[in-house]
Amino acid sequence: MTAPGTPLLVTRGLCKSFGGVRALKDVDLEVRSGEVLGIIGPNGSGKTSLVNVMSGHLRPDRGRVEFLGRDTTTFKPHDLAAIGLSRTYQAVRLFNGLSVAECLNTAALMGIRGDVPHPDRREILEWLELDKATGRLAGGLTLFEQRRLELAMRLLLAPRLLLLDEPVGGLSSQEVSRMIVVLQQLSERCGVLIIEHTMHVIRALAQRTVVLIAGEKVADGEPEAILRDKRVVEEYLGGAHA
Amino acid sequence: MSEPNLLVLLSMLTTGILLGLIFALVASGVSIMYGCIWLPNASNGQFFVLAALLAWSLTSQLGWRVSAALIAILAVSGIFAIILEYVLIRRLYDSPNRNIDYFVVTLGLTQIISGIFGFTYSHYSDQYIIPPLVEGVTFIGPMPTTNNRLLVIAVAATAILALFAGFRFHRIGRAIRAVFQNREAAALRGVDVKGVYRIAFILGTVITALGGLLYGMAYSFDLGLAWTMSVTAFAIMIVGGPGSILGALVVGLVFGFTQAVVSVFSSPTMATFAYLIAMLAILLVKPSGVFSR
Amino acid sequence: MKGRPFLAAAVLLSTATVLLPFALQSNRFIAFIVGMVMIHLVWSCGMNLLYGFVGLMPLMYAGIAGIAAYAMIYLTRVEGLSFWLAMPIASLGAAGVGVLLGLPSLRLRGFYFTLCSLVIQTGMTLAFTYFPRYTNGDTGIGQIAPPSIGGTPLAGATLDAMLALFAVAAVWSVAFLIRTPTGRRFIAVREDEVLAEAVGIDVVRTKVIAFFLMSLYAGVGGCLYAVYVGFVSPRAFDILVSLSIWLLVAFGGRGSIIGAIIGTVILAPLPYLLHDLSGLKDVLTGALIVAVILWFPGGIVEGVKSIRKRVLAKAATVPPAHAEAVHRKVEGRA
Repeated sequence: MTAPGTPLLVTRGLCKSFGGVRALKDVDLEVRSGEVLGIIGPNGSGKTSLVNVMSGHLRPDRGRVEFLGRDTTTFKPHDLAAIGLSRTYQAVRLFNGLSVAECLNTAALMGIRGDVPHPDRREILEWLELDKATGRLAGGLTLFEQRRLELAMRLLLAPRLLLLDEPVGGLSSQEVSRMIVVLQQLSERCGVLIIEHTMHVIRALAQRTVVLIAGEKVADGEPEAILRDKRVVEEYLGGAHA
Repeated sequence: MSEPNLLVLLSMLTTGILLGLIFALVASGVSIMYGCIWLPNASNGQFFVLAALLAWSLTSQLGWRVSAALIAILAVSGIFAIILEYVLIRRLYDSPNRNIDYFVVTLGLTQIISGIFGFTYSHYSDQYIIPPLVEGVTFIGPMPTTNNRLLVIAVAATAILALFAGFRFHRIGRAIRAVFQNREAAALRGVDVKGVYRIAFILGTVITALGGLLYGMAYSFDLGLAWTMSVTAFAIMIVGGPGSILGALVVGLVFGFTQAVVSVFSSPTMATFAYLIAMLAILLVKPSGVFSR
Repeated sequence: MKGRPFLAAAVLLSTATVLLPFALQSNRFIAFIVGMVMIHLVWSCGMNLLYGFVGLMPLMYAGIAGIAAYAMIYLTRVEGLSFWLAMPIASLGAAGVGVLLGLPSLRLRGFYFTLCSLVIQTGMTLAFTYFPRYTNGDTGIGQIAPPSIGGTPLAGATLDAMLALFAVAAVWSVAFLIRTPTGRRFIAVREDEVLAEAVGIDVVRTKVIAFFLMSLYAGVGGCLYAVYVGFVSPRAFDILVSLSIWLLVAFGGRGSIIGAIIGTVILAPLPYLLHDLSGLKDVLTGALIVAVILWFPGGIVEGVKSIRKRVLAKAATVPPAHAEAVHRKVEGRA
């Protein structure tokens, strides 16, 4: 893995509007190797738009995205997957009609670039406790199993950075705790960016957190410092909190 | 301007208005169904021709008076719509991909009706026409035009205006618009969405039937008109924007004039080609249509 | 998924299919119907590729078949090429056109794509009818010469056997294709396009490849149709033909090779058996289309599967999980 602290993904001045609504206003941020970056913000703050731009689903009106030093602003999702950037979605997305093994086979179709070690499928499945489930239909798994399958599929792409959009959504509190452990272990394999709106998950996982409010980056730093930032407290945490 | 040229011009003008209004009417019917229910009705052309054919049967074969036949067919079209909605249409209200399901189902319906035409009407004649409702001829400048055609223009224009007004001011019309714009919001406001679907379907069908009757009164037609009309109506709806009566009117008139002009210089098929290209262009550039917000 | 016995049965069936025409030599009527079924098998394989495995409904299918047919006729009659050269050239040309026509519609989803394809098909039919230079318009082109081998034109059972060879080749090629990485990408795109993109599949490229392959089958079928029936006109390649080919796959079971075969074998003969009552054929086709959408969208194959599940569930007095395992054992394959 690259030296800790080197930027993996950098956004500069991202702006995006839909109709009259400005979803992203001049967002600058960095995801660095060796740390988990958390992004939090209330509903409608632009978190998903941000990830959509970073992952190639959306073109920004202005600004740039750089991944591993390359300008990837116009890259499509499959181009990004090929160079090591992939993402998961807020609502679980799997090939529901296919078996677990077939889902993994599909992810494995992509050619892995030369400079990266080949993912060890068996090891990944054992770690994520899916090795006994390979024959089952993806649509028939429990939600927790499905979330893990999503991760397994991404790992077969030998990613350098994973963007996870609310990876614990819908899980029971026991499952959330187990998932946090999984995600901590995940961060040892590749860079991780997590979008969340539950503070305790972010606190457990992220070394650094960015707060997005109404499309603007309002704070960027360690979770404890964030929690004390005046504007964050007023506009985000005031009233609702985790 | 020399008299022959003036005649041609006036003729093109009347044809353009006549066709344009009828196109606009049928396109409105299709548009209401698609905008409100997400029902792209591929069989609209068949309904169109069926109405005209039934009117022909009543008048030319059974000797009914034209006015009676017209009213009867309109009533029948309403009943037909009610039955069809009950038997077929409502089964797909909750389907996730209902627009493509409806499209294919109505393609099937098109084939059924066209098959029925195959072993009934195709044996009678090649060309059909509904006898005129009023007799007499009026002169517009040097050009004679039948009073019947003028009547058709008047009825078509009134119908479209009524639709327009209905959607603006009438309670039901507003409900249809509300459902079209935002299903969930309308449901939350207490609108009976499925009831609105029902009304939209019946309304759309009756309007299409009216269009068929008007066309059959103004021009002779053959069975091939069904498919051409379906394509034209869809083209108008897509180009004008689904759910927009104004769009249907404006684009309908444009297409009507196009056909009138093109028919003078070459075959009407060229006009159909033009519609197809326009539809394709809009689908690829701005699928929500010219008049959409 | 394919066990040894299944493979053996498939080989046996394929051989029997090719030999069938020789057994039917005496009954020309039945032989003709079997011949048409063979042609439709080639067609339904192509349609299944796009509708069953990629998930798009291409209503311009018959138009593409028509382009290949007319091109082949031109190449054999005017340029004097032999069928064996003209057919591949014409089919490849038609495939190229298929890709061009499919290209812009790739960004359209669901209904809009289907509508676009319908518009394109209508345009093609109009072009066939009103630009008679290559097509002779509505009058059509007749007396199309059958292909020859070594100077002798194929006829009767040998011609039918050739069709059967093509049909068998079409089915095997699709079965093979689905197991290649390309085929897997098709299925991924059908299941979830966005996810496919996220795991590194170039969805646009995959669709283009699918269009190309589908058009090849359409084109080959079109050429075979032309030389077998001996006569083509725009009506042989219009929207109704596209719809009926779609129905073969939808009725039998989309995304299932066996389903497409079943659908074709059952439905393709109907128009020829009902030949005198052409209106009835349309009504029946239309009714089947409605029935498939409303009541069994997965076709016969899905229907059989669900009946099996229910029978097994009823027969089982054991807990559901065990019944599931028993059921899967019985089924032997997914």
